[in-house]
Amino acid sequence: MFKEYQPGQITRMAKALFREERETGRLDGWFYAREAAMEDVSPDDLPSEPRACAELARMIEALPISLSENAVFAGTQRDAFARTYALINPAFKVETFSGYCDPTGVFDDIVPNEEIPQQRIDALRKKTAESRYVRELMQVYADFGNYTDEVVFFVEQVTGHVIPDFRFALRHGLQALIDRAEADAARETDALRKGNLQSMAGAMRCAVRLAERYQALARDQLAKASDERRPQLERIIRTLERVPLDGARDLYEAIQSFMLLWQVMCLEQAPNPFALSVGNADRIFEPYRAMTDMSREDAAELFCCLLVFYNVGDRSWAISQNLLIGGRDLSGADLTNETSYALLDAYFEMGLPQPILSVKLHRSTPDALYRAMGRFFFTPGMLTPSLFNDDAIFEVLAANHVEAQDLPDYAVAGCQEPLVMGKDNGNTTNSWLNMPKVLELVLNGGKSMITGKPLVSLELPEDPAELLRNLRPLFYKALAKVAGAMEAAANGATQAVSNLRVPFLSAFMGGLDTGYDMRDTQHQGTKYNGSGCLIHGLSVIADSFIAVDHLLKERPEDCGRLLAGLKDDFAGDPELRDYLKSCPKFGNNIPEVDREAAEIAGRVSDLVASLRNNWGNPFRPDWSSPSTHLLYGYWVGALPDGRKSREMLGYGVDPLFGDAQQGLGFRTLSAFALPYRKFAGGYASHFGIDPKYFNGGTLEEKGMQMKRRVIVPLFFNPENDRLSPFYLYMNVTTPETLRKVLENPKKYAPSGVYIMRIHGTFVNFLDLSPAIQQDIIKRLDMESTRL
Amino acid sequence: MKIVIFQKGFNYSQDGPGNRLVYHMQGCNMRCPWCANPEGMAASGGTACDAEALLEEIQRSRSMFFEGGGVTFTGGEPTMQFEALGFLLRALKGQGIDTAIETNGTYPRLPELFDCIDHLIVDFKQPFAQRHRAITGVDSSNLLSNLRRAAQEHPDVLVRIPFVNGYNASREDMERFARVLSEFGGVPVELLRYHEYGRAKWDRMGLTYPVENGFVSEEQVSGFLSILHAHGVRTVRT
Repeated sequence: MFKEYQPGQITRMAKALFREERETGRLDGWFYAREAAMEDVSPDDLPSEPRACAELARMIEALPISLSENAVFAGTQRDAFARTYALINPAFKVETFSGYCDPTGVFDDIVPNEEIPQQRIDALRKKTAESRYVRELMQVYADFGNYTDEVVFFVEQVTGHVIPDFRFALRHGLQALIDRAEADAARETDALRKGNLQSMAGAMRCAVRLAERYQALARDQLAKASDERRPQLERIIRTLERVPLDGARDLYEAIQSFMLLWQVMCLEQAPNPFALSVGNADRIFEPYRAMTDMSREDAAELFCCLLVFYNVGDRSWAISQNLLIGGRDLSGADLTNETSYALLDAYFEMGLPQPILSVKLHRSTPDALYRAMGRFFFTPGMLTPSLFNDDAIFEVLAANHVEAQDLPDYAVAGCQEPLVMGKDNGNTTNSWLNMPKVLELVLNGGKSMITGKPLVSLELPEDPAELLRNLRPLFYKALAKVAGAMEAAANGATQAVSNLRVPFLSAFMGGLDTGYDMRDTQHQGTKYNGSGCLIHGLSVIADSFIAVDHLLKERPEDCGRLLAGLKDDFAGDPELRDYLKSCPKFGNNIPEVDREAAEIAGRVSDLVASLRNNWGNPFRPDWSSPSTHLLYGYWVGALPDGRKSREMLGYGVDPLFGDAQQGLGFRTLSAFALPYRKFAGGYASHFGIDPKYFNGGTLEEKGMQMKRRVIVPLFFNPENDRLSPFYLYMNVTTPETLRKVLENPKKYAPSGVYIMRIHGTFVNFLDLSPAIQQDIIKRLDMESTRL
Repeated sequence: MKIVIFQKGFNYSQDGPGNRLVYHMQGCNMRCPWCANPEGMAASGGTACDAEALLEEIQRSRSMFFEGGGVTFTGGEPTMQFEALGFLLRALKGQGIDTAIETNGTYPRLPELFDCIDHLIVDFKQPFAQRHRAITGVDSSNLLSNLRRAAQEHPDVLVRIPFVNGYNASREDMERFARVLSEFGGVPVELLRYHEYGRAKWDRMGLTYPVENGFVSEEQVSGFLSILHAHGVRTVRT
């Protein structure tokens, strides 16, 4: 490919770079970055775009940078992340997790040493705590603590979680964008917009400055470089002389440009720029591959380096960054290209825990793509892509006012939330609604069954039979009350984070068109905007309502006994629990309960969509529960479905663990009942499938079997006359296999990496905290996915 | 009309083509020692369903009958509930739904259902009459006459041999199987190698699992296939 590299050498260097990254014990870059950012600004200064731009510029100047001997490209995300994310933090415990609501909690994750003594940490922590952002956010948590302490709902300040559109910058260079922003600013008469545009231009210059610093570093390294390394460094220098300032002319330049843009974008949000998404990487990079007609093999080598860039530190702390391939255009034509396959090759070659791979499918997806996915599904410990159904998602987004021309540009940010690249601030994880906790409160006079504390004031009948007979209206009324409080709290968190402006990111999110920062709550900076609400416990509520119906009909004398049994966690009444467990459960193709689940999903989606965010736009119902089905279940008492206190909730829209026992066919039929058109914010669903059901002779044949037996029946079923499901992830393994991996990791995962999917991301199973490891094993729930 | 089932679920291409909704019907006239579904042997037990409700469930499930799939009735022994089985099969045929049954073939009136069964799967467990009776508790004469008629009259018959060491896997058994099957003019035959998926169920039911060392070797399988082929018997794998 390049004379500087032997065939296969780039891949080898990428692997060596990943090994180096895994040996990184400390992530101090974010600390230096924040320290530099805050050194000249008094905490009471008004938030402003120019201030954010100046902070970014100071970060870029002050940050220590490095270039490994194994670097094929310049750039790293290492300085933007802290060692914080709970699910891969060995210290994480379900019992003590309280969300990421303390923005200064990150200072607990940095261990003092000689260079960063405790005093220095404390000083920055104090300064941070005094900032307007933190003060406003802490006030929100103080105001709504009664709701959030036991997770009736939860709210958070959303950082990351969007899909920047770097395509213009890659093609024409930042200079073109900077020129445009400055020209627009010069013409602009509105002072706010003028300042914003100037700041966006300034923020983009930071990426150019970073390229200059890497150039200088590479030049410094030239003197001592080996004969082999010297031409490699010279290529890096030549490339940085051109990009990101000017447009890329080949794939190498495009990847280099992209990495530096990404690095600055993340630094701007250090220390928690989680869940930023690449978008359709195959469509972004294919034009540059095609410019030099680079082979799939050569392109795959370069993509190996891009993938390593997304792995930060010893546990790949930059979690939930998504990369997509595949999909269709408006007419239904397939958009898979040579780069789609080169990216898959790179993913398979590297087998890294990040970035998350998602594949967009549609009715005309070529079999070649299914065949190419076989190796991912059927190689133990290999990452598996999550799957999106474009045919259905286009309809969902169109129903939620996305213009037709923007539909093919949707991608996902975070776990599975669909957003339009460069145009959509979905504020996706802003609020989290715990329906089972609300049901618990309705059944217990507004008091927590866990702690006995009164949490929500509710008007409820005293007579148990009357309460149970009116359970549905009482529940929906209580839910509406809770949702109202959640709306206020969520908007408070969004208001708080608006103090942290992001001029660089805004420039790639439509800010150059609107003149506004994407976090400005007074003006809408992006074309599309909403606030996400992750809704928990669909199956638990549906199963509970149906169990109460049966009890009222079959043993009406037991109404009081049921309420007592719930408070007692069924300890003295196992017979009652057995009865409740035997009532129909969602996920078994039983119309009574499937209809109930659909009714709940529809009504609660409507309720959530009726809430308004700071911009006056609807909240987006998102039926996802990224491991929070476990965390929130911990705060929910026993319920009429027979679920015991503190047990997990159903994951996403899936049946509760153990309750769907009729296999995948019935489960799929139940899934068809749900009103997907209303799931504007996305949803989650998982199949844990036993590999023994697939007997193809090759991995490619098994990929086709997966298509025919699982994917087409679920996504593209010609007999399903409703809007089809649009999201799925799978783990093709068994609980026994995972137990073996845990018992003997050296044998089953000699590389130290055994990738599993949890919610929308994949993770190294061995990196996970023990509670989450056990949750994954349980969630495999093979009975619900028997073929 | 009531029908008693003890299990239901989808499976793919195992009991008929495509993805199929499989109903396991309660009750069996045989007592095969290797039975994988011992809970289905007794005439009592299972869940009584209304046949109309079952038809409604099948209708609701049509979207999962992909790749030529449909409904399969197995057991237990489905012909033990002959009237209900006939009612369901005829109704399904009327609705254009693909049908299959897996049967031990001993029920004398089985041919009455031929016209409403798309795929007839008949288990053949022992070729020597005396041994058949000794192992299964049932005479094989009806099975053989039904098989003979099916071979002549039914367009899609599959004979399945559960191949179990110690019960039907001797050289004599193999030769005899081949001779008998060669008379059925081209009916395909499938060997089902012994497995122990049912052992845990026997244990759970408090029963002693009777088979010891039932696994067949690769040599036994290839030897049997050679003998069948030498007699002109066509074998398949599903």
